[in-house]
Amino acid sequence: MADENQPDQTAGAPEGDAQQPKTTPPAETPPAAAPATPAAEGAKPPAVKKPAPAAKPAAAAHGEKKPAAKKPAVMETTPWESDLTKLLAERFGGAITEFSSYVGQNFLVAAPDSVVAIVEFLREEADFDYLVDVTAVDYPQRPERFDVVYVLYSFARNERIRVKTRIKEDYAPHTVTGVHPTANWLEREVYDMFGIRFAEHPDMKRILLPDEWEGYPLRKDYSIINMDNRWVKDNLGIDSGQ
Amino acid sequence: MPETTFLDANELVLNMGPQHPSTHGVLRVILKLDGEKIRGTECVIGYLHRGVEKIGENRTYQMFAPYVDRMDYVAAVSNGLGYCLAVEKLLNTEAPPRAQVVRVILTELNRIASHLLWLGTHALDIGAITPLFYVMREREEILNIFEAYCGARLTTHAFRCGGLQYEVYDGMEQQAKRFCKAFLPRVDEYEELLSENRIWKERLINVGILTGDECKQYGVTGPVLRAAGVKWDIRKALPYSGYEKYDFEIPTRQNGDTYDRYMVRIQEMRQSVRIVEQAVEDIPSGPIMAKVGKIVKPPVGEAYVSIEAPKGELGYFIVSDGSTQPYRLRVRPPSFINLQALERMSRGALVADVVAIIGTIDIVLGEIDR
Amino acid sequence: MRKLLKTVFLVDLIQGLWVTLRNQHPKHIYTEQYPAQRPKIAERYRGAPRLNIHPVSGETLCIACNLCALACPENLIVVTSERNEQTRRKELTTFIYDTSRCMFCGLCEDACPVDALELTQDFELASYTRDGAIWDRQMLEEGPKPTRYRY
Ligand code: SF4
Ligand code: SF4
Repeated sequence: MADENQPDQTAGAPEGDAQQPKTTPPAETPPAAAPATPAAEGAKPPAVKKPAPAAKPAAAAHGEKKPAAKKPAVMETTPWESDLTKLLAERFGGAITEFSSYVGQNFLVAAPDSVVAIVEFLREEADFDYLVDVTAVDYPQRPERFDVVYVLYSFARNERIRVKTRIKEDYAPHTVTGVHPTANWLEREVYDMFGIRFAEHPDMKRILLPDEWEGYPLRKDYSIINMDNRWVKDNLGIDSGQ
Repeated sequence: MPETTFLDANELVLNMGPQHPSTHGVLRVILKLDGEKIRGTECVIGYLHRGVEKIGENRTYQMFAPYVDRMDYVAAVSNGLGYCLAVEKLLNTEAPPRAQVVRVILTELNRIASHLLWLGTHALDIGAITPLFYVMREREEILNIFEAYCGARLTTHAFRCGGLQYEVYDGMEQQAKRFCKAFLPRVDEYEELLSENRIWKERLINVGILTGDECKQYGVTGPVLRAAGVKWDIRKALPYSGYEKYDFEIPTRQNGDTYDRYMVRIQEMRQSVRIVEQAVEDIPSGPIMAKVGKIVKPPVGEAYVSIEAPKGELGYFIVSDGSTQPYRLRVRPPSFINLQALERMSRGALVADVVAIIGTIDIVLGEIDR
Repeated sequence: MRKLLKTVFLVDLIQGLWVTLRNQHPKHIYTEQYPAQRPKIAERYRGAPRLNIHPVSGETLCIACNLCALACPENLIVVTSERNEQTRRKELTTFIYDTSRCMFCGLCEDACPVDALELTQDFELASYTRDGAIWDRQMLEEGPKPTRYRY
């Protein structure tokens, strides 16, 4: 009998634990991240914040300091200026709100409806002929809920940049498959995981998950435990013990 | 994309997989056939989806490291390297020189192991059974080095964020050197078996052609890109982990067909041996771990870091919110994107060629589905 | 002309066959006769877990600090302890380790401050039941007892 209890314990407890970190971050962290973005728009590096973790593992003292250090929880970007940014600023004007770089990686933030034009312009005029990746990031606390990120690379310049755009939850950005055929599966994956529909995509359906799947797993409010419980209930007709 | 619903009298829809020996895992390819000719293909993937990216959001940076080994399980060391580099980038540190050299040795050995496995299975798909046995023998030597170094053969978890956990064991240099010396004649042997073989050539030459421009359009990287004449390798273009110190070449070929990809990979193995030989010559002394502390907590920010994995560009895009867990962790898997070009490559080919083409992209389903 | 002769005399195929023949020599045998012939396991191999006990007194080395359980990405270790009123130290009561979910990454081993938990060279972990894969403290201290076949 005792033997039978033990597996339950081990099986149950870890799941519960695993659940902990998942539910907390969305509730806790985005407020820190949310003021971050408007501030970053000014593209001014705020007061220098030490890269804390590397400093010292003196955990206790550090724990005290944290609230103070947490305030400027902004991405410490530096402005990015080059011939390319001038060209882009000239061409797209207000559609591009930010040129920044972080840890030596350049990115720009653009208005959602101009992304396709920018990507096409970059391919035609600036040799950014290789679309490395398309992905998204979910910030449920922000009015523009998602960041859609396009990573571009230029073989000729040997340079990699990111084009980011912020979109609202029900906004359907236009697909870039017309410019880069690679985007086909990548956008499907973004749709699969975040529920962002891409307008005029040739084949907008789920790619990794089965077609009848409910919910979008990489959204922050998607709970694995709830899904699991529901599945157990529907398919096995019992309450899962989690 | 083919319209799978559309069927005229001559057309036949054939399901290849998910359980098919030549799809290298659970990949389902829906073929639309006109006799033996392929009219269209559609890949159905996701059978091995484990939600690695979601797992990453729920684990601390160090805890997630073992999971990346399970994506491309044939090249676990490369996966680990990419992940560690991405986290180090966010932390704005670098691994100490000694750690970097050891990393290069293991990653290159892993590249050889991955290519070897590819060679064996690809040859098996084409009908040459013998190479598989020889290839496994050499791969075993590499796995023995991994086992002695970090205690696991396949899912190695060899690197940690900030450096290495394990010191170089006694005799690692000698073992690696011995392997390199014995390995080069073996590569010649594989070439003797295959390169001139008429069946091999008939099956591979002019099959699944992808030109350089098409490669760029489809984002295809790795040996497939280099076989199409584009001399591009992240190790040279955007060097990481001290690759700029080593003297090696990027093998390229012109035609971009299946045979060329085979040749490129064979050459790459030789180049990897060269790198390993240079690297084991002088492993600098010093610490193996940068000062990152027990708890990895990168400042708020994001970074995209990619490496040249055996299969192409493997990228990690990590968004940090300043906590101990990644806010978003995206993996840019090379196989996933390379597989997308299958549709282009197999247009107009024969059914038997599809087997060769799938083999030549060198996919690992664990990485495609994550 | 040469090409034609090469084709007629199957040079390319014979070349390949010759490689195969070269490798037929008994000294090239590479396979291991596994259950009869035990493989050599590397010293650092991460296999079956073991909870070390003091070699003389037989007491466990574990100080029930719970660090291994916190370090494990799979959360599969459960450590319970009791405070001993006399020595005012925590004492280990149970230690449960679910090998069926373990991925042998070695993080728990690295986290242990007193080297009580260790991943050993035993690799034969198969069990007929799922419960058999969940190891308690006794099992962890004694190690697995796989069947040894005799030939
Ligand atoms: S080896 Fe890894 S998965 Fe297994 S118990 Fe230790 S930390 Fe957990
Ligand atoms: S970390 Fe070591 S000492 Fe602490 S509970 Fe685990 S096994 Fe015991």
